Amino acid sequence: MNIFLRELRTGRRSLLVWALVIAGLNVLIMAVYPSFAADAARLEELMAMLPEGFAKAFGLDRLSMADPLGFYATESYLIVVLFGGIYAAILGASILAKEEDEKTIEYLLALPVTRNGVLTSKVLAIVANLALFNLIVAAATYLSFVGFVTRDYSTATLLLLLAAPFLLYLTFAALCFFLSLFWTRRRAAYSISIGLVVGTYFLNVIALLTEDLRWLGWLSPFKYVDAADIVVEQSLNGLYVLILLATAAVAVAATYLLYGRRDITI
Amino acid sequence: MTVPSVPVTRPGAGVPAIETVHLKKYYGKSRGIEDISLRVEQGEIFGFIGPNGAGKSTTIRTLLNFIFPTAGSARVLGHDIVSESREIREKVGYLSGETGYYDELTVDQLVDYTARFYSTDCRRRGAELVDILEIDRKKPIHSLSLGNKRKVSVVLALMHRPRLLILDEPTAGLDPLMQTRLFDVLREENERGTTVFFSSHVLSEVQKLCHRVAIIKEGLILKVEEIEKLRESQLRKVRITFRDERQAVVNLPGAAEEERDGRSVRLLYGGDINDLVRHLAGRELESLWVEEPTLEEVFLHYYEAGGRTGEDSASGRAAAVPTARSGKEER
Repeated sequence: MNIFLRELRTGRRSLLVWALVIAGLNVLIMAVYPSFAADAARLEELMAMLPEGFAKAFGLDRLSMADPLGFYATESYLIVVLFGGIYAAILGASILAKEEDEKTIEYLLALPVTRNGVLTSKVLAIVANLALFNLIVAAATYLSFVGFVTRDYSTATLLLLLAAPFLLYLTFAALCFFLSLFWTRRRAAYSISIGLVVGTYFLNVIALLTEDLRWLGWLSPFKYVDAADIVVEQSLNGLYVLILLATAAVAVAATYLLYGRRDITI
Repeated sequence: MTVPSVPVTRPGAGVPAIETVHLKKYYGKSRGIEDISLRVEQGEIFGFIGPNGAGKSTTIRTLLNFIFPTAGSARVLGHDIVSESREIREKVGYLSGETGYYDELTVDQLVDYTARFYSTDCRRRGAELVDILEIDRKKPIHSLSLGNKRKVSVVLALMHRPRLLILDEPTAGLDPLMQTRLFDVLREENERGTTVFFSSHVLSEVQKLCHRVAIIKEGLILKVEEIEKLRESQLRKVRITFRDERQAVVNLPGAAEEERDGRSVRLLYGGDINDLVRHLAGRELESLWVEEPTLEEVFLHYYEAGGRTGEDSASGRAAAVPTARSGKEER
């Protein structure tokens, strides 16, 4: 509990900065939506002229930017999942590794704690931080829909679009939590987390663009929270949710296993 | 030969404070410790000395389960170091010069945070120690000098009234004044019944404080000895330059000549310093240096003379050390 509360305290500034910047961007983008929607016919014309690859990469082959959800899915969603993913990855990569990097781990492990106890506190702190992060972004986005959008849209689908990134964050955070066992230096943790998120994002884009490499998409967490899928299907694919959660669970379980027998030297 | 102060017993005493059995640790292929068998009784102040890289920190980190033993086992206050490390941590205070703390916290905040982990209320003792050591409680950790930071470490190690203190090079980097202060605190704690186990590579430090010492080298315990016995064989490095080359002879029991260069003689002297002064009294000297030998030199001397003084060895290894130079010494 002590460690958990401490992590919330130390993480709050970074949480607020990331969440407010992304929430603010979402609000700004949604504020532009009414002027887009007003000229829907010309917009459709313009979109028809986009190169096919470009359209596919942003889901514009299946979505309309005149539609509120289509607009959000193509304009904002990428920012949310990409930067939110980076936030989650950095959080996961640094929350445990920083104790070794800053040589505080011996202090921590000399206290009457168990390693599993330390891990559990850290995992709960990750989940709590990500939940708060997602909540702030989702609330701001929801309110901007209420405020700026006059056209009809499915609230249920919007909520799915707002909830899905949380699953992605959990997965990235868990993967980086595991990877941080191997790279405890803070700088390395940052490069690896950003690399993982951006790398898998492009993996997904390549998979979307190239018929022959479609299978690559399965390796990218982004595939499983694709905004166009959610808007078109009006649901989250159960299998995809399972894949994300299972990946996160396996990564965390592996971390417990390895950390329980890790030699900690500073 | 008596230990300087009689160990105080406490309820729950009886089990050794530390007991390691053929403890071995390798980091991949590189040696941490080879074979450490040690028994530290409750109530002792036990010094663990050896040169850098001998395995002192490795042993200590294994005891606290920061690292896992490759072979062998150990118990601290009766608890297994691997399976019961939480219980050990509740009862042990640990201090290392290398430990970092949450830098942004103030002294008060760090003490308070630490206190929350223990089942007993130790805030008051923490505050008391902060006062005794005169630490500015409102200052953030990162703004403290090395000496003050070490004082904070002492507070954190002592505040929960541990039954055993494990200190890894506690005096490294401290000025002599701070060292004395630290030793006073440790002596006081010991008088309350706390066992103190601390490592050092400076022999003189250990001598001031310990009841017994273990000497470790290259991952092996060379010898466990009561400090009184080490004191008896206290060695000094002596360099004498005589005015007259013909007088440049030192023929005294306990003096082992190391090197002679014209009018200069270099010795390792293990006898009474007064005998040496009297011995030199009639002669004209140009200069005289007396200094403490390095630990290496003590080891060398000690082990080559090991046959005579090595009857109290816990590891049994010392007896096997060749005694090649003892003849030369008794010349």
